[in-house]
Amino acid sequence: MIANKDLLPRESLLWIFAAQFVALLPQFTMLPLWVAFAWAFAVFWRLEVFRGRKDLPGRTLKITVIALTLAGLALSYRRWFALEPMIALLAISFTLKNLELVSRRDAFVSLLLAYFVAATLFVQEQTIPYALYGLFSVLVITAALAAQLGQFSASPRRALGLSMRLMAQATPLMVLLFLVMPRLGPLWSVPQNTSAGRTGVSDSMAPGDFTELSKSSKPTLRISFDGPVPPPEQRYWRGLVYSEFNGRTWRQGYGVDPRNGGRVYWKSGEQVLPQVGPRYRYQVIQEASRSPWLFAMAQPASESPGVGETADDRLVKRTPVFNRFSYQVSSWPRETLPTPTSLSNVERRRNLQLPSYGNNRTRQWMASLRGQGLSAEAVSSQLLTHFNNAFTYTLNPPALGGDTIDEFLFDSQQGFCEHFAGSYVFAMRAAGVPARVVAGYQGGEWVSGEEYLLVREYDAHAWAEIWLDDRGWQRVDPTAAVAPERVRDGLESAAGEEFMQDSLFPLHRFGILSQLRLQWDMINYRWYQTVVSFNADRQQNLLQRIFGDLSPMRMALLLGVPIFVLLLGISFWAARTAGRPKLTPAEKLYQRFCQRMARNGIRRRSGETAGNYARRIAEERVELANYAGAVTEAFEAVSYGGDARALKKLRQLSSWYFWLRHSANMTPHKRELAGY
Amino acid sequence: MSVSSSSRSTSRNPLHMLVQSWRGLTQRWLSRRAPRARAITLNHSRLFILPTRAGLGFLLVIALLWLLGTNYENNLVFALTFLLVSILAVLPLHTFANLSGVHLRLLDTRAAFAGDFAEAEINVSCEGKREREWLELSWPPEQGSRVDLCEQKSADICISMPVVKRGRVQAPRLRVESRFPLGLFRCWSRIDLDVEFLVYPRPISAGPLPVGEAIAEGKFGEVQRGGEDYAALKPYQAGDSLRHVAWKQYAAGRDLYSKDYERKTDTRLWLDWDLLEGKGVEMRLSNLCDWVLQAEKQSVAYGLRLPGVSLEPSLGAEHRQQVLQALALYPGRGQ
Repeated sequence: MIANKDLLPRESLLWIFAAQFVALLPQFTMLPLWVAFAWAFAVFWRLEVFRGRKDLPGRTLKITVIALTLAGLALSYRRWFALEPMIALLAISFTLKNLELVSRRDAFVSLLLAYFVAATLFVQEQTIPYALYGLFSVLVITAALAAQLGQFSASPRRALGLSMRLMAQATPLMVLLFLVMPRLGPLWSVPQNTSAGRTGVSDSMAPGDFTELSKSSKPTLRISFDGPVPPPEQRYWRGLVYSEFNGRTWRQGYGVDPRNGGRVYWKSGEQVLPQVGPRYRYQVIQEASRSPWLFAMAQPASESPGVGETADDRLVKRTPVFNRFSYQVSSWPRETLPTPTSLSNVERRRNLQLPSYGNNRTRQWMASLRGQGLSAEAVSSQLLTHFNNAFTYTLNPPALGGDTIDEFLFDSQQGFCEHFAGSYVFAMRAAGVPARVVAGYQGGEWVSGEEYLLVREYDAHAWAEIWLDDRGWQRVDPTAAVAPERVRDGLESAAGEEFMQDSLFPLHRFGILSQLRLQWDMINYRWYQTVVSFNADRQQNLLQRIFGDLSPMRMALLLGVPIFVLLLGISFWAARTAGRPKLTPAEKLYQRFCQRMARNGIRRRSGETAGNYARRIAEERVELANYAGAVTEAFEAVSYGGDARALKKLRQLSSWYFWLRHSANMTPHKRELAGY
Repeated sequence: MSVSSSSRSTSRNPLHMLVQSWRGLTQRWLSRRAPRARAITLNHSRLFILPTRAGLGFLLVIALLWLLGTNYENNLVFALTFLLVSILAVLPLHTFANLSGVHLRLLDTRAAFAGDFAEAEINVSCEGKREREWLELSWPPEQGSRVDLCEQKSADICISMPVVKRGRVQAPRLRVESRFPLGLFRCWSRIDLDVEFLVYPRPISAGPLPVGEAIAEGKFGEVQRGGEDYAALKPYQAGDSLRHVAWKQYAAGRDLYSKDYERKTDTRLWLDWDLLEGKGVEMRLSNLCDWVLQAEKQSVAYGLRLPGVSLEPSLGAEHRQQVLQALALYPGRGQ
C-alpha cells in the first residue's frame, strides 16, 4: 500500500514526462517507430488515470504489454548486446514504468533512467549541437527531480532556475574532474551497431553511387599537416581499391579485405619503408563511417594504435570507425620510393580480371590498339585523348543499359568520376595492362583560420591506377582529362550549376553562408581537438605542461588541495551560516568570562540570568565573588545601561584575569578584585 | 511457557543488549550535542546529512555512465558523468543550507486521550532571504507535517503522535528533515523541544451515569424547557403561549418575539472511585473518564473523588480539564 503522501501530484507527473521526452527525443529517429508511439500511448494512459477516467492497468494487461514489447524488440533487433537495442530497452522500460508510475520511488527510478538515456546520445554523436542538447537534457531532468519535492518547487521557473544554479555551481568541479580523472582503456569490447545508413565511400562501386555522395556536404575528413602541405593535384585520399568487376559493379575482390584474409601490417616497421624521411606527415580526423577504411595519400604508414597498412597502400582500422577517429599518417609519394620489382602472378591476374563476355566494342578497340604494338602509356594516353575530345562531365548522366562500358565510351559519353575510372580500368585491362579502380576523396577545402584541410562527402572520387613494369603503380585520373578543374578546384567548380542542385537549400550559392559554414567547421574542429579527442595522452601532456613532471606526490597534491580547499570553504561557510546571532563586544567578553568560570567548575546554566550566575559563583567560590561581581556589574551596565565606559572596564577586567593566571606582577588592588 | 521463556531470552540476547547500549549511547551523545530547549535554531552542530536511497541510485547511474564512457572512450559521456558527480557534490551544501538557521519553537501542546493522537503546535521560522522548502517535522515512525517557508517566513504547524499511556508523556526527539533540492540527500536533526503531553486515560464505558441523588432546581444540571428563569428572546412560533410574547419589543416596532424560559436541574453527581469496586486501577480511571465525558455531554454537574483527590461538582471546560488532569496524573500508573 502506498502512503498517500507519496502519490505523485500532477506537476510532478508532467515534469517526469517532460524529462522522458527530452531524453528520448533524439533517440526517436533511431528507434523503431512503434517505440515512440508506445511511449506516447503510455503517457496518455497515465494522464487519463490521473484524471480519473481510467484505471492503472491490471496484471494481465501489464504482462501482455511486456510480452508484446519484448516481441517487438526481438523483431526489430537481431542482436541484443549492442547500444541501439539497449537504448530501445531503456525507452521501453520508460514506457512500461509510466504505466505504474505511482510512488515517489517510481518517479526517481524513471528520472535516473532518463539521465542514462540522455548520455547514450553522446555515444552516437559528439558534435557541439548534441553536446548542447545533452546539457539541456540534464537541465530538464534535474529540474524534474527538483520538482518532485512539492508544489512550490514544481513551478517551471523555480525548478529550472534551481537546476541551472546547481549546474553552474557544479561546473568548476566538473572541469577539474574532466582534466585530472584518469582515463582507462575500454574494460571490455563493446559491440557496436553496424547497420549502415550513412553516406560515405563503400566497398563497392556501382553506377550512381558517387552521384549520391556528391549530394552531401557533410564533412568526412579533417587533415592538418605537420610540415609541407601537398599541392591540390596531389590530394588523393585513397580509401579503397576495387579490382573485381562483374560487368556492372566494381568490388574489392577476394583476399583484399582484411576481414576475409587480406594481409595487413599492424605493427609499425613491419612493412619495409625507405630510410629517406616521408614527404608528408599529417593527422587525419575521420568522421564516423561505420566501416574500417581510413583515408591517406600513397604510400602511407601510421603508428596510431589499431591502424594497419595493407598491401595495396592503404590504411585500415582494426575495428570500424564508429566515432570520430584521429590517426597520424606519414606518406611517401611513390616517385620518392625505389621502383618496385615486379607484380606477383596473383596480383597480375587479379588486376587483369574481366568478365568473360560483354562490352565487345571496347574489347575490340583495345585489341586493335594492342595489335599496333603500343606501350601501356601510349594506350593510356589514347584513351585519355578520347575522353578529352568528346566527353562531358556531368552529375546527371543518362542511365546505362547492359554493356555499361561500351555505352559510356561510345554512346552517351556523359558521366561522372565513377564512369571515367571504371571504363578506363576496363579498357586498360582489355589492353593487357594491370589496372585497378581506387576510391576515396580528392581535394578538400583549405581552412586558413585553423590550418587544416576540410574534406566533405561531395569530394568523394574514383580514379585509376595502372601497373607500368618500369615504374610500378601509377595514378591516372581519367576525370582530369575531361574536367581538369574537378581535380584542381574541386567538385563545385567542375559541376557548375549541377552542384548540389537537389539540395533543399542551395546554401553554397551565397558566399557569406559558405563562409559561415566554414567558420562553423573551424569551431567544430577546435571542439574536436580540445574536448572530444582529449585522451590519456593529451591529459598527460596537459598536466605535464602545467605541473611539470607528474610524480604520484604531485598528483596527490593536485587532487588533494582542491578537495581540501573545498572542504575548508564548506566548513567555514557552514560556521558562518549556522544561524548564530552576532555577538556584541560586551557579549563576547562576557562569554569569555563564562568560559573561564566554567573552567573553574561553575558552568552557567541555560536560561540563568547574569545576576543569578554571579550570586551562585559568590556562593560556591568565595574567592571569585569580587571578580564575578565586578564583571557582571560592568556587563549589565554596558548591555542594559548603554554605558560606554563600562565596556572599557569590562575589557580591563577580562585582561586582568588573564594576567593574574599567568604572571605575578599584579597590584594588590587588582589582585584583591580578582580574588587572589 | 515457551513464549515467556523466549521473551525473557531476548533481553539476555547479547545482540539485543548491544543494540540497547548503542541506543543509550547515541541518546546520551545526542542530548549532549543537542540539549533540550523549547526553542531551537538548527545549526551545523545539530544537523546530519546522508544520501537517501535515491541518492545511492544516482551514484549507481554515475558508475554506469562512467563505465559507458570508459568503454566507448567517449569524452562527452565522461563530461556528463563528471557533471553529475559535481552536482552530487554541491547538493549537500544546498540541503544543509535549507535547514540551517531554521528556528523551531514549541507553541502549545494539546492534551489527548490515551489511544488517540496528541498534537503539538510548533512555530517554524527563518530569517534572511533564503527560501526554505520541504521541511518535514515528525516523530518517527509517524508521518509528520511538511511546511515551506517561501513567501512567509514563519508558519505554525501541528504534528501529532500516538499516545498509549496516560499521564505526563515526554515526546521523543522530534525529527526535522529536508531532502531539498533533489531528494538525493537527507539532512536531518533530532531535536528535543521539551514537548510534554498530558494524556488522559482511555475512556472505557461502564454503563450510564451513576445518577442516584435527587433532582432539584439549581445552578447546575440538565437544561429543561419551560422553567421559571428567563433565558432569551426567540422568534415567535405558532403555538407559543401568548403569555410569553415580548409585547414590549413588539410595541417598539420589531418582529414578534416570545420570551424563552428554562430551568436547570441540580443534578450533582459524584463520580467516585469506590463506585467501581473490584476493578483494576487503570480500568477504574478509564471508566471514570468515560463518565466525565458523558456528564459533560448531558450537562450534569459532576464531582470527582479519588483516593486523596476530591473535586467539587461543577460543569464547564475548565472543570472538565481539571477532572481529566486529576485522572491522568493519578499515581500508581499501571504498567
